[in-house]
Amino acid sequence: MTQETAEALRQRYPQEERPPVALVTNGLSKRYGRRLAVDALSIEVPTGVVAGFIGPNGAGKTTTMAMLLGLVRPSAGTATVLGESIEEPATYLSRVGALIEAPSFWPGLTGVQNLRALAVLGGHDESRIPEVLDLVGLDTRGSDRFGEYSFGMKQRLGIAAALLGDPALLVLDEPTNGLDPAGINEMRDFIRSVGDGRRTVLVSSHILSELEQVCDWLIVIDRGSLVYQGPTQGFLGRAGAVVALAPEHLGDLDRLAELARADGHEPHAEGDELIVPVGESDPRRVALALNKAAIAQDIVLAELEVRRPSLESNYLAVVEGRGR
Amino acid sequence: MIAALRSELVKLRRRRVLILTALLTLAFSVGSAALIVTSAERTGNPRGRGVTFASLADAGGGTEVFTTAVSFAGTFLFVVFVGAVAVEFSRGTFRTMLLHQPRRLRLLAGKMTGLLLFAAFILAASEALTWLSARLLAPSRGVPTADWISFRALGDAFTDYASVLFWVSGYALLGMTIAVLVRSVPLALGIGIAWAGPVEHILQDAWSPVNRYFPGLLLEAFVAGGTSEVSASRALLTVVVYVGIAVAIAATTFARRDVTG
Repeated sequence: MTQETAEALRQRYPQEERPPVALVTNGLSKRYGRRLAVDALSIEVPTGVVAGFIGPNGAGKTTTMAMLLGLVRPSAGTATVLGESIEEPATYLSRVGALIEAPSFWPGLTGVQNLRALAVLGGHDESRIPEVLDLVGLDTRGSDRFGEYSFGMKQRLGIAAALLGDPALLVLDEPTNGLDPAGINEMRDFIRSVGDGRRTVLVSSHILSELEQVCDWLIVIDRGSLVYQGPTQGFLGRAGAVVALAPEHLGDLDRLAELARADGHEPHAEGDELIVPVGESDPRRVALALNKAAIAQDIVLAELEVRRPSLESNYLAVVEGRGR
Repeated sequence: MIAALRSELVKLRRRRVLILTALLTLAFSVGSAALIVTSAERTGNPRGRGVTFASLADAGGGTEVFTTAVSFAGTFLFVVFVGAVAVEFSRGTFRTMLLHQPRRLRLLAGKMTGLLLFAAFILAASEALTWLSARLLAPSRGVPTADWISFRALGDAFTDYASVLFWVSGYALLGMTIAVLVRSVPLALGIGIAWAGPVEHILQDAWSPVNRYFPGLLLEAFVAGGTSEVSASRALLTVVVYVGIAVAIAATTFARRDVTG
């Protein structure tokens, strides 16, 4: 765990109030030949949070999830899921629902038949099948063969299968893959609704704006190593907001920069804009002061905007800072 | 294991699968009975796989048609079982199943038991259909079938059924082992077809002692009731040893291997 992450945990969850964790890994590693896919990863996911798991392609997200689900044996390290060691997946997987990698089912079976086969296999209540199909919006397509489903529908059936056992922990690997914009929106609402504090959700996605809206906990990994874990706000707070100003006349850019420096900032130009990092200051106050100063100097602003850091911008800054 | 067995039966007990299987079983049973009865010879076949008028007229003649017909389908059955297991890896459905049943050996055992149970039903239906077809056709070749309806005939029918079921189980478990080891449908089928088809039989023609050692040839010898090179009991014992080793390898591999992709 990084120093910053430990601090974030302490701030949000003081020792005496820290909730039990849904999953913990300690030095978890996976090596494939000479390639280290996961490198001594130590993470904690508190119970009841929606945790976003982000990292570039090949960062080790799916491998980590596969180890937590008992599909892949770690090369080193330990982990517990819902308090049970991952060496004995049978002790906890009945309380875990998961969709990992591409949704894989029997193409000749209908959606309902696929879920029935899995419900029987897992000892789940078959009467939940209509309910979970309804939850993922496949209630009218349950009698169609899986082989005839679109990729988005296959993804939904994968989530329905994960929900069969009414799990305490839901692990979703790129659940928005193959979904259209409306489907992505529905998936976001769905994750928000299932992660209602009653269950823990660990979700990986490359659409960071989606995670930003639904996750209250983040785990960021890169090349198999932990970069950040902690509250989403803690990660967003790593970079401050900026005020962007665009003068009507490009020749006024230098004068605007002088005004910003006079107000104690260190601006820089980006194209036809002046970007003013505000640090710890209130960005709206800085924008107001710069607007007034520009008016006083007869500089007409074509655009004035406060830009707050996004998960994507912070993520890119972190990844690029690590030499990508 | 019971849950995995029941889950496998959910997949097999579908109208489409049942109708297709019934049609294939009917076509195979009637067609092979017609071929075997019409090609029956008055004197013995030196290779020991054909039937004679004398053996057909015996109490076990009706079910001998069945065992003879099935013995020609060894490679086909081997390929079916190799494919049925390997496709679960290729399609990623073993991964899906392991998320619901993480006890891997129970999953594999339940799946194979389900497949073999299904095969047992098909074989029973095929034996009955083959017997019935042969009984209708035999008089046209002057073969008497009066002894086919007797307690001795019933005993022979059970013995032949048990032999064929063992023979199918042997192929199934050897096929499963190949599928677990290579995990790819094309590769597993390639190995399965090559081994059960040309490799064993080419080597058999080139060097007869292989009849006593190669599993496919031993299974053929067993279901034929033994050959001049190897007795049925020796074939049975050797196959049991081979299958035991194969199952141990498959179980160990499946229990420990990463399941991805």
